[in-house]
Amino acid sequence: MHYLYWDLQSWVYWASMFERLIEGVSISESPHLTPEIDSSSMFRLGMIEGFSLPAFMVAASMIGYGALVQSAGLSLSLAIVSTVGIWGLPGQVAFIEYMLLGAPVLSMLIAVSMANMRFLPMSLSLIPMFRGSESGWRLRYFWVQLMSVNTWVGLLRKVPELTPDQRGPYYAGFATICLICGIAGTTTGYILADTLPFYVTVTMVFINPIYFAFVFAAMRARAGMMALIAGAITGPPLYLLSPEWSLPICGVIAGSIGYFADRIMRRGA
Amino acid sequence: MASSLGPLAILRTALCGGGPDMLNQSVTEWAPWTLVFLAIAGTYLWRGVGTAIAARIDPESEFLQWVACVAYAALAGLIARILILPVGILEQTELVDRLGATAIGFVLFFIFRRHVGIGTLSAASVFMALVWARGEGII
Repeated sequence: MHYLYWDLQSWVYWASMFERLIEGVSISESPHLTPEIDSSSMFRLGMIEGFSLPAFMVAASMIGYGALVQSAGLSLSLAIVSTVGIWGLPGQVAFIEYMLLGAPVLSMLIAVSMANMRFLPMSLSLIPMFRGSESGWRLRYFWVQLMSVNTWVGLLRKVPELTPDQRGPYYAGFATICLICGIAGTTTGYILADTLPFYVTVTMVFINPIYFAFVFAAMRARAGMMALIAGAITGPPLYLLSPEWSLPICGVIAGSIGYFADRIMRRGA
Repeated sequence: MASSLGPLAILRTALCGGGPDMLNQSVTEWAPWTLVFLAIAGTYLWRGVGTAIAARIDPESEFLQWVACVAYAALAGLIARILILPVGILEQTELVDRLGATAIGFVLFFIFRRHVGIGTLSAASVFMALVWARGEGII
């Protein structure tokens, strides 16, 4: 099952899918449903379809995040606000870890920002999906805040079945259920971190990095795969050289290695 | 640190108006809520920029592929660092437990044809069992 199969090619593919879709949209638009009924049923459909493996993975990882925040000695309200506001686990983990390190503010900001840098290519591929719809396009700066790996994959998989006007409500429903599970997970993890034995608490924290390790290992694009391997190899030694600045440096160095290695191999082939 | 990173020092001066070197202060000197909202803004930056240029850019451009590679590498570096050199509660576990559980998870992950759920759950279960066994003095 590859519900989390996302790679460099997939967002290029979906963007070109959109080009094709926009042609057929005006023909397939249903005149039978009033916009209100259509929106609410689409919202509900999004919630129902979101309430499966993606939402449970969000909840499980956020249990780990809640426990991590608790172990850092920060408040529950801060845990929830950071989950909803940052809404990208690697950035959230980087935030808490840099708080624990007592690193300089600027390096913390750069680390959090760099850890969530994937949102740039992700939003570039997601936002064009709302272009055929006036209401959907107007809310694009709000939709992009709701975007996570799960909601991104969730909408892109569904796009061929939906008209542009249906995508906003569907996406909102899908993201709502993911947010609810994220908040529930954060709260659960935060509360349970205090009462559960050490081996359970520490496992919940362990789920964070390990879940993402498998999400990325499921990726098949060569450039991304080589960037991941180069990053995994250079990350720890760079951290020993400079704990505060290792993440952005590692990203640029290992990312360039992956990108240029792929380019050289493409030319050679 | 500042002297070795010229562009960042300039950025810092620009942001602080040449005043006290605030951004070079440790996070422990700032209110956690201020830092959360800075972190939220730092994340929204990518979302907002992506949205702003979504209508204009060629999604197949080489620059975007490089950007994506940088993002993946930074994430892989972060994950590897957390597993090998953790900070906080994971620091109290053994390196061999973390890496052993990860390795077993990867074996099952590939056996079940790259199933993310099975990989995650098996690695987490093995890790929990190892930490529990150490706590009980079994290993």
